Amino acid sequence: MKRRDFLDWLFWISGTTVGAFVLYPVVRYLVPPEMPEAATRRVNAARGDELAPGAFKIFPFGGEPGILIRNPDGSYRAFSAVCTHLGCTVQYRPGERMIWCACHDGFYDLEGRNVSGPPPRPLERYDVHLAGDEVVVEKAQTA
Amino acid sequence: MGSVREWLRDRLGLDEIQHLVEKKDVPVHRHSFWYYWGGMTLFLFGVQVVTGILLLLYYRASADEAYESVRFLMTQVSFGWLIRSIHSWSANLMIGAAMIHMFSTFLMKSYRTPREVTWLSGMVLLGLSMAFGFSGYLLPWNQLAFFATKVGTDIVGAVPGVGHFLLRFLRGGDQITGGTLTRFFGFHVAILPAVTTLILGMHLYLVQRHGMSVPPSVEQGPTPPPRMKFVPNFLLRDMVGWLAALGLLALLAALFPWELGIKADPYVPAPAGIKPEWYFGWMFQTLRMLPSHILGLEGELVGILGIGLAGMVWLVVPFLDDVRGIGPRARFWRIVGVIAILYVTVFTLMVYRGGTP
Amino acid sequence: MKFAAGILLLLAASTLAGTPAPAAAAGGNSCIDCHRELEPRMAAPTEHFAEDIHAVRGLGCVGCHGGDASDPDITAMDPDKGFRGAPKRSEIAEWCAKCHADAAFMKRYNPQPYVFSMAEFRTSVHCKKISEGDTKVATCTNCHGVHGILPHKDPRSPVYPTNVPATCSKCHNSQYMKGRTVPTNQYALYVNSVHGKALLEKGDLSAPACNDCHGNHGAVPPNTRDISVVCGNCHGREGELFAKSGVSHALELEGKRGCATCHGNHDIQRPTDAMIGLGPGGVCGQCHTPESPGGRATAVLVPQFHGLKIEIAEADSLLAVADRLGMDTEAGRGLLREADDQLVNVRVSLHTFDRAQISDAITASSELATKSMAQARALLADWRTRRVGLGGSLVVILILIALLVYQIRRIESPRA
Repeated sequence: MKRRDFLDWLFWISGTTVGAFVLYPVVRYLVPPEMPEAATRRVNAARGDELAPGAFKIFPFGGEPGILIRNPDGSYRAFSAVCTHLGCTVQYRPGERMIWCACHDGFYDLEGRNVSGPPPRPLERYDVHLAGDEVVVEKAQTA
Repeated sequence: MGSVREWLRDRLGLDEIQHLVEKKDVPVHRHSFWYYWGGMTLFLFGVQVVTGILLLLYYRASADEAYESVRFLMTQVSFGWLIRSIHSWSANLMIGAAMIHMFSTFLMKSYRTPREVTWLSGMVLLGLSMAFGFSGYLLPWNQLAFFATKVGTDIVGAVPGVGHFLLRFLRGGDQITGGTLTRFFGFHVAILPAVTTLILGMHLYLVQRHGMSVPPSVEQGPTPPPRMKFVPNFLLRDMVGWLAALGLLALLAALFPWELGIKADPYVPAPAGIKPEWYFGWMFQTLRMLPSHILGLEGELVGILGIGLAGMVWLVVPFLDDVRGIGPRARFWRIVGVIAILYVTVFTLMVYRGGTP
Repeated sequence: MKFAAGILLLLAASTLAGTPAPAAAAGGNSCIDCHRELEPRMAAPTEHFAEDIHAVRGLGCVGCHGGDASDPDITAMDPDKGFRGAPKRSEIAEWCAKCHADAAFMKRYNPQPYVFSMAEFRTSVHCKKISEGDTKVATCTNCHGVHGILPHKDPRSPVYPTNVPATCSKCHNSQYMKGRTVPTNQYALYVNSVHGKALLEKGDLSAPACNDCHGNHGAVPPNTRDISVVCGNCHGREGELFAKSGVSHALELEGKRGCATCHGNHDIQRPTDAMIGLGPGGVCGQCHTPESPGGRATAVLVPQFHGLKIEIAEADSLLAVADRLGMDTEAGRGLLREADDQLVNVRVSLHTFDRAQISDAITASSELATKSMAQARALLADWRTRRVGLGGSLVVILILIALLVYQIRRIESPRA
């Protein structure tokens, strides 16, 4: 008798456990993750006070580097940081106010246009806007 | 607790339901093992519905976002990888179970009078599951899915007469685009579930109404087979199978997660080795092996018509076979069944062993 | 009367020829009309002249040769009418320069004319040789063509970037240069070089052709200091760092060839990491012995560098494992990409030949590689957690199945 009762009890316990093993992932799944959306179209590139005017930052965007530049007036601009010549990561030269690729001395202006050196095409431009304290970079809307 | 039950009993007619359930029993004989496969298919379908609804919370059905949303689901959502992989694996297991169910009921001749409509509705359900599989396969919007869908819809387009219309209906245009994705999503989460609910309801009702069929060899035996109560005996056994399936799904999902693939790009040449999902494999292999022209007609066309014709015959076997399931006609159709099983199995395997291109 | 006869002659000539009279700047071009009918050597200039940029801009034959293009007779070639005939080879450059070095004149055709070609040419070896009486050297027409000159931006022009190496090698080959002491293997070396392949095979117009390093009109082999300036024009960082380094100065003193000392000049190949150090393929060994300060520095830096590359490769393969297991490696790959960028920086910093700077660059890259590796390890740990979860759930399921079977048996066994 005792064994039967024990096994009955064990049966219900293990049934409940299996139920818990099924329900636990489902409940965790239903809770939304930290980042509500995939970071391939939009990403938080920097915090509001992170960049001084004239400074720049390379940030990851959809698996590739992007460049965020803070203008002297405090506004931002952002581009793909992949040089259109041979793919090196570009940087910003605040003295000349030009984007520069160290690999073969390619230059882009602050509109992303390739103005000097090997790069054959301009840099892809991204949209930037502020959301609270975050600087949000988003792929430009196509028409 | 007792008064709550009484309250429900008076309003929901629980008594009648309980009576019906207690009445249901299952014949016990050496082929009883095959009785589990209908329930297994139903269980796996239930898994699909639950995991599918969960996936709906995060999936986005546009060409721009589908792949990324699946990626997000696999990497950022808690246990998203588990839900998605279970959904993909269970789809395959379900169709496998459905095919085992179909072939076993065929060989046991469960389609005999008065169960012809049960057989017909079952065949429709099989078609619906394959439609579920075909439409769902595109939704992650990766290269393999994109091109497999292209090949599949191309073959539909080769059907004489209605082919072109069907192709445009499926694709939402002449090419596969984001519009195709939206349409397939509509099929997969709305139209097919609605139709399946109706047909499945009919199928289950008919099974309850007629009870379980007994194979001819047992029927012809000296005594009728003993019977097992459905509740709790058969059901507990069902649950053993379902738990085993659940364990198998967990194992497959954890050790062989479904891959993301590469995002679909229609302008890149098709990757080598595109093939449809395995359950279309035997058809695909048959078409691949046919010569380009047969008796003046295009080989592919002959193949499609041939497969269509064979399907039609398979569908109406209840009306062609002996009513009692014995005699030379019965034996003929049994042999046809065995050949069909071998053909489908061998040709499916050939796709994966790299059969004749 | 003479005029009418001339017209009749013209008409007769054109009907005999079967083609209509070509339009010319001022009432017909008798030069072309007559020369076309002559023997091949005399007719040759007329073949492509219609496309010539000078013809297109309305300068015609008389623009260079003088004379009277409206005169159908031989009197068109009257010196009194300005006719100068064909120039001697040594005069060609001066002839062209008459217009092309005259800014006021050129402005009529181009608001921003380039008028220094002649001044450049005077600095070149070609010009020097011509003034010494050696006429087997290039002058304007050898590179630009003569009676079918196309603008340099036209891909058919012999001085369009992708055509320049072939144009130069028309003379700079072993046959033509027989008897001279200049090397003749430049074209063969260039075509196999990284710049040659980029320009000629991939069509990358940013890659240098002969003129980008040697100058367009002032062709001169660059000397030691010039070489670094020339290379540094495109390879800015390396040039900058090299100019400030101790090695640059040392090479100058010894009369060596700057960048070309290690990288070659016409046969420049994509640099490999084997070039670093004293091992096989290492260029440092050209000057440094293992006991020298430089040699000892490489003994420290080279293992560090290879260690870094191994770190990066390990992080990469670990990320690949995670990928195959279905984990998301985007963050880890991002870090690895940055580590790779820094690795490029290490190779650039080699041109400082300064141990401290090179070491710093190596450290920067190594830190990123380590972070990437940590990401990969975290993903694999996640994977292991999944397997533990799986194991646990399978155990529980198996227990439940066993208990179910027990329950079934119990229900169906005959009651005691």
